[in-house]
Amino acid sequence: MPDNLPAEAGAQSSPGETVRRSGTERLLRSIRDVVIRGGPVIALLLLSAYLTSATPYFLTESNLANVGRRTAVTAIFAIGQTFVILTGGIDLSVGAIGALAASVSAVLMTQQVTLFGVTVGPVDFGVGLLVALAVGVVAGSVNGLLITKGRIPDFIATLGTLEAFRGIALIVTDGLPVPSHLTATELKGYLPEQMIAMGSGSILGIPTAGLIAIGIAILAWAVLRYTALGRSTFAVGGNREAARVSGIKVDRTKIAVYVVSGFLAAIAGFLLAGRLNSANALMAGEENLNSIAAVVIGGTNLFGGEGGVFGSVIGALITGVLVNGLNLLNVSAFYQRIVQGSVIVGVVVFDQWRRRRFGA
Amino acid sequence: MVYQEFSLVSSMTVAENIFLGQYPRSRLGLIDWREIHRRAEESLSALGVDIDPRAEIRRLNVAEQQLTEIARILTKQPRILLLDEPTSALSDTERETLFDIIRRLQARGVGIIYISHLLDEVPEVGQRVTVLRDGRVIGTLPVEQTDRDTLVNMMVGRRLAEQYPKTVVEPGETALRVENLSLDGVLHDLSFEVREGEILGIFGLMGAGQVELARILFGLEAPTSGRIAIGGRETRLRHAAQAIKHGMGLLLRDRRASLVPMQPIPPNITLADVSQVPPFRFLNLQKEAETAAGYVRDLSIRPPSLKRPVFYLSGGNQQKVCLARWLFSGVKILIVDEPTRGIDVAAKAEVFALIDRLAQRGVAIIMISSEMLEILAMADRILVMRAGAFTAEFKRGEATQELLLQNAS
Repeated sequence: MPDNLPAEAGAQSSPGETVRRSGTERLLRSIRDVVIRGGPVIALLLLSAYLTSATPYFLTESNLANVGRRTAVTAIFAIGQTFVILTGGIDLSVGAIGALAASVSAVLMTQQVTLFGVTVGPVDFGVGLLVALAVGVVAGSVNGLLITKGRIPDFIATLGTLEAFRGIALIVTDGLPVPSHLTATELKGYLPEQMIAMGSGSILGIPTAGLIAIGIAILAWAVLRYTALGRSTFAVGGNREAARVSGIKVDRTKIAVYVVSGFLAAIAGFLLAGRLNSANALMAGEENLNSIAAVVIGGTNLFGGEGGVFGSVIGALITGVLVNGLNLLNVSAFYQRIVQGSVIVGVVVFDQWRRRRFGA
Repeated sequence: MVYQEFSLVSSMTVAENIFLGQYPRSRLGLIDWREIHRRAEESLSALGVDIDPRAEIRRLNVAEQQLTEIARILTKQPRILLLDEPTSALSDTERETLFDIIRRLQARGVGIIYISHLLDEVPEVGQRVTVLRDGRVIGTLPVEQTDRDTLVNMMVGRRLAEQYPKTVVEPGETALRVENLSLDGVLHDLSFEVREGEILGIFGLMGAGQVELARILFGLEAPTSGRIAIGGRETRLRHAAQAIKHGMGLLLRDRRASLVPMQPIPPNITLADVSQVPPFRFLNLQKEAETAAGYVRDLSIRPPSLKRPVFYLSGGNQQKVCLARWLFSGVKILIVDEPTRGIDVAAKAEVFALIDRLAQRGVAIIMISSEMLEILAMADRILVMRAGAFTAEFKRGEATQELLLQNAS
């Protein structure tokens, strides 16, 4: 077959050429890349360095473990949120899903429940965990189905389910913390110790929740980078119409990211309840905004198509370290909110400027 | 500045768009709507067009939108006017009106930079021609000293003996058969077939239903009635993924609707294949990068970076990425809709060469175009479409520009 097409191709540079560079040049370039792209990482390092010098309590094992446990929960919420935001959506119900999942499983693990004439419980830790995850998946599917089949904007759909999920959680818990002295059966008046260990224990000195968050982050990164689902996620957020004409099942992808978000929210809620040794219907109230802030600080584009989970983890760390530092420095809780808000806006302003100045 | 792609707010009216950001005020400081509509009508009639200033932009066709855009720029009384492919959506008469206006403006002392890839337009409006290629100035000549060949030569950097490199291919089996296809109010009882290795041209003026036809064939829209058989088997496509599975490809007229702009070349090339894979199957990124590098080299996509988002590529190179996607997916039937809209001469020739190469491999090609020259040169058979129905069919060599136009309008 005559292949007369790329007649002048040889004269032009080949793809390999852009990669070939001398060592120093490459080093300089990568330093520049880190400075330009790694804004959040640098912000985190600077913040930690400052707190280390400003207070002797920051760099202590117990404090860092504390930061790790708190941040882990936000980070897991934020990882799920990253999937959703990458498709151009937003999930306002993550906190509510976390609370609902934790409440349902905590109730089942501490009380006897009679449903349709069948009495169950208190169930084992393993069953409780599975129930929590199932609640997350179902709640996520509800979000996804409302948005795709119901054709409702993501924002509205999850705003609605946020309220509904909280309501269900209130019904399940009767508005009481679980376990409470009013509802606990004589069989079990406390959450399973494995759950508490997940939330507040350590393995080799590292908070278990932190390890779980790291594991989830790596898994999520691999899914986004190496699987067809990851590709679809970026394609749907980057250009919905292009994804559609390339055969990507847009609706299915959207449902999948909301299921991922719901599933991870359930894990995060479960860990949070374990750390607090208590679940209640209104817990994790700030996690919606915290998770969105972490995603945005981490450099994921709110309109979709660009970003990744590690940025979100760094974003969660920045907010976590910041709150911790302000507490250590005895800043009043009122001023803390101003500082937090300013940091979120500041990081995003910097990020936008960087994008305009240096390209993506 | 008149952009090639529009910068109108589609939910606002024509008049609102024309005065966007500088609405005339009444004495109370409120927007003077009567004045707006009066002046909008004035500036539109100065262009010699009949568009209702109260119509919403999204209800207008592309040509009307383009004219609105031009009207908007002219109301600003610019001293230097930059027009980027302003005629790409205009009919011949509308184009003449625009040229008249340009000449009038020129007489008034307005400096005009007119960017075009249509060589015939250049001597009509220009005094001097500057040719750019790959971001470099190749040369500037007074318009009297240029003819088509010199210009093409400058633009391509080599003699373009083969701008339309069509080789004769013996058509094979029927690849796609369409019977009595209809879409309410848009398409009426269309029947045709395409064979392997054949290039079927579908010619029609804008809005004759070609876009809808392409979308139906590719499973993006459902027809009201009719049958489609792919490779001899009747098929009902409900989703683009099914069309791709059946070996179909679609090159949209709007490249931006085919590409994921902030992703680099490799994921854009493999997107159609990735859609065929179960969600949790792992992708071989190494192999993907190698494949993409191969296409970049083969199709001379420039700049040849595998990391840069395709957003930054030129139109021609974006189009090559789109084509590479279908080359990679191994198409058997490829629908190309205005494949050369808004790309330069050299890239056009490369796109045609690719289409020809695909036809040689036995790919059935449906080429939808409103550019008569390219459809006459490339197609083995031409169907002329008017208002959603076929009005004529020509074999290669039978048709002329006059015949095409007569049947299309």
